[in-house]
Amino acid sequence: MSIVEVSGLAKSFGQTQVFQDISFRLKSGELVTLLGPSGCGKSTLLRCLAGLITVDAGRIAVDDRDITGTPAYSRGIGMVFQSYALFPNMTVAKNIAFGLAMQKLPADEIAARSAKVIGLVELSGYESQYPHQLSGGQRQRVALARALVVEPKILLLDEPLSALDARIRKSLRDQIRDIQQRLGLTTIFVTHDQEEALILSDRIFVMDGGRIVQEGTAESVYAEPASQFVARFMGHYNLLDGTQSKALLGIETTGYIAIRPESILLSDHPTETEEGIPGVVRRRQLLGNIIRYSVESTGVSLSVDRLNGSADDLLPEGAAVRLRIDKSILREVH
Amino acid sequence: MKSGLLLIPVLAVLSIFCLAPLLEVAVDSLQTEDGIGLGNYLEILTSPFYRQAFANSLSVSLWSSCLGLVIALFGAASLRRLPGRLRDAVVAATNMASNLTGVPLAFAFIILAGTNGALTLLLRQSGLFGNFDLYSRAGLILIYSYFQVPLALLLLYPAFDALDDDWQAAAALLGARVWHYWLKIGLPVLAPAILGTFILLFANAMGAYASAYALTTGNVNLVTVRIASLVAGNIVLDPDLAAALAVLLVALMVLVTTLSQRLLKKSYHAR
Amino acid sequence: MRAEIYHRTIVSLLVLLLGLPVAATLAYSFATRWGATVLPDGFTLSWYVQLWQDQRFLAAFFRSLVVGFGTLAIGTVVVVPAAFVVFYRFPALDKVMGILSLVPFAVPPVVSSVGLLHLYSDGPLPLVGTPWILVGCDLAIVLPFLYRAQANALGAINLRDLMDAAHILGAGTARAFLMVVFPLLRKGLMASLFLSFSLLLGEFVFANILVGTRYETLQVYLYNVRQVSGHFTSAAVMSYFFFTLVLTWLAARLGR
Repeated sequence: MSIVEVSGLAKSFGQTQVFQDISFRLKSGELVTLLGPSGCGKSTLLRCLAGLITVDAGRIAVDDRDITGTPAYSRGIGMVFQSYALFPNMTVAKNIAFGLAMQKLPADEIAARSAKVIGLVELSGYESQYPHQLSGGQRQRVALARALVVEPKILLLDEPLSALDARIRKSLRDQIRDIQQRLGLTTIFVTHDQEEALILSDRIFVMDGGRIVQEGTAESVYAEPASQFVARFMGHYNLLDGTQSKALLGIETTGYIAIRPESILLSDHPTETEEGIPGVVRRRQLLGNIIRYSVESTGVSLSVDRLNGSADDLLPEGAAVRLRIDKSILREVH
Repeated sequence: MKSGLLLIPVLAVLSIFCLAPLLEVAVDSLQTEDGIGLGNYLEILTSPFYRQAFANSLSVSLWSSCLGLVIALFGAASLRRLPGRLRDAVVAATNMASNLTGVPLAFAFIILAGTNGALTLLLRQSGLFGNFDLYSRAGLILIYSYFQVPLALLLLYPAFDALDDDWQAAAALLGARVWHYWLKIGLPVLAPAILGTFILLFANAMGAYASAYALTTGNVNLVTVRIASLVAGNIVLDPDLAAALAVLLVALMVLVTTLSQRLLKKSYHAR
Repeated sequence: MRAEIYHRTIVSLLVLLLGLPVAATLAYSFATRWGATVLPDGFTLSWYVQLWQDQRFLAAFFRSLVVGFGTLAIGTVVVVPAAFVVFYRFPALDKVMGILSLVPFAVPPVVSSVGLLHLYSDGPLPLVGTPWILVGCDLAIVLPFLYRAQANALGAINLRDLMDAAHILGAGTARAFLMVVFPLLRKGLMASLFLSFSLLLGEFVFANILVGTRYETLQVYLYNVRQVSGHFTSAAVMSYFFFTLVLTWLAARLGR
């Protein structure tokens, strides 16, 4: 339950600048996601916060204590890795107890605290197994327990779900959020998966090219992308350039007009008199509870999402439709 | 089945030049002046001279294997942290150094560290190691270590790929210093490779003859030197006694290998 | 960074340690006189000139090359078909061959010399004292090595499919092997041959105990001229070392 303050952080490897001018402040007990494509510098930033890599400039403080120069082994920061990083020569119990053993705590305290976190991550009964005997999800829960048992001031999670298959990923994602809220742990979560970020986070920091390009709550980042990059990255936004938006909407822009696929209304049985822009369904994709139509209108191709209702509502490819776009939720981005 | 005939030449060569001589050695070792018996073995085990040969061989082999292994371990660990091109160059240099063995190696060391060697003079002038004698057991350990290092490095280096860098990061964040990491995680994970390499180095040193012979012309009492002088020396020839020595040498190597395998079974890898 | 300096220092020390004897020998082979001083008096090529005009050296070098080439020629003819037959017809035998291959590695040459001297000094195969016993012993040394290299290469290609494809296209087994499989093995074979050659050039124990001066090879020559002059021997050692360097370099290039 700590406050983290980062200001002016910069790092480069040789000639390549990995990130620069990173400043932010985390409230106590908050879960913040660093979201960005691979190579945007988010993992390196996380490792700098952990003390695994030294920074070139800037300051990192936890609870008003400057830890910029503190070595990793005495920072009191917990970390979970994408590769799990479990020690293969140790059992689950030994892995989890490692941090406590490093603090030279008495054996009974180690046992008691280990048992508590093993219960927390629901791994009771696996104590004497070796990592290679566990599934991916179980391994990552061991890694989580190992990081939690030392009661770190901050928890860092470096793409912890990326190596897991889809089903496990969802359940572990919810478990991580649940545990984090129960313990009130200040947490930084790194991911390239926007869906993961939206579901988990109190706040999202979107990173691109070594900078934080937008920060805000999940809702605000999703609804109000600050730039073309964020719009592209956050969802399946339709992005119209100047000519396209003039043709379709009659709006002039030097940047792009971003329209969310679910904010466009399709009317199935268009009449000549009806309001809206005429278009033709070119392609239909079933995404489960949503059906995504690719609609062409005035030479522009748009994605339009509709809830998957009754079979009668399905539009065939080639169907003539009318599009209604609420101009108040359009966003102009650059 | 006709194609099986193509295997015959390989098996013939191995039989004639490897298996048959080995069998012959085993049989010869039991030949004594009074017929078949264990007389040769008894003579070796009761002779302080031959017991000393075994003690010397063991000590030179153990010391050089351990030294070579430790140097190679440090070397391999650091080598992994160098940029790619530099690393490849060092591996290539190591490969080259592994060519320097036997007689040429002994010469190189005589020139470097012999009585008038440049290094000897340098050390003598600086007052360090004033009395180092290359033509002694210590000298042999030095030379043996030299040929063990490249061998150990080439054997160990690939094994380091099994170490995940995240382990060291994870250990550090849990409060471990670098030496904690190596002690608790790095070395235990490498244990099979280290032990396997040690067996090879040890066997290599126990059986080595050329550099010791070229360096000391047999003045340091080693088992291989004794065996060679009993079959090809110019004083006393006793091939049967040599055979018994040879059998004991091989038995010792087998024993060390078995012990190491036992030790390995106790590690987590066997589970 | 501190860690980087540490790693660079360790590796530099390692290279220094491994390079020092070579550097000293190289310097000595070019030195006019190098007595009781840390550095030599002057430099000259005369030791090399003297060495490469020495009939005995040239003869010994030539003999080593003859034995080496002979061994590898026989070795190739023997191993390549054998490895193919094992992989194509009797894959289960690969394990047996693996264990059998370990024997020449595990048994020190000094030990087998004892048996070889007894077996082949007289009797039906009086080979001791002739180059033939060297060829035989050298074969035993390189066969496992060559076999392993071939086995690795054969394991890496899809042998069965390749042979089936060639058969369907009308080639017999021998023809399919020579035209399809062997070209794929050739590079690996050459690399292992170069390495074997440098291994054989360094063989001293068999040569000294079983043959000695009756067919003096390079290593035995090096040993026997050790008293002549340190500079002269250094030139010989460096010539030999340089030759093996070229061989390993060729092997490394082919192995890539």
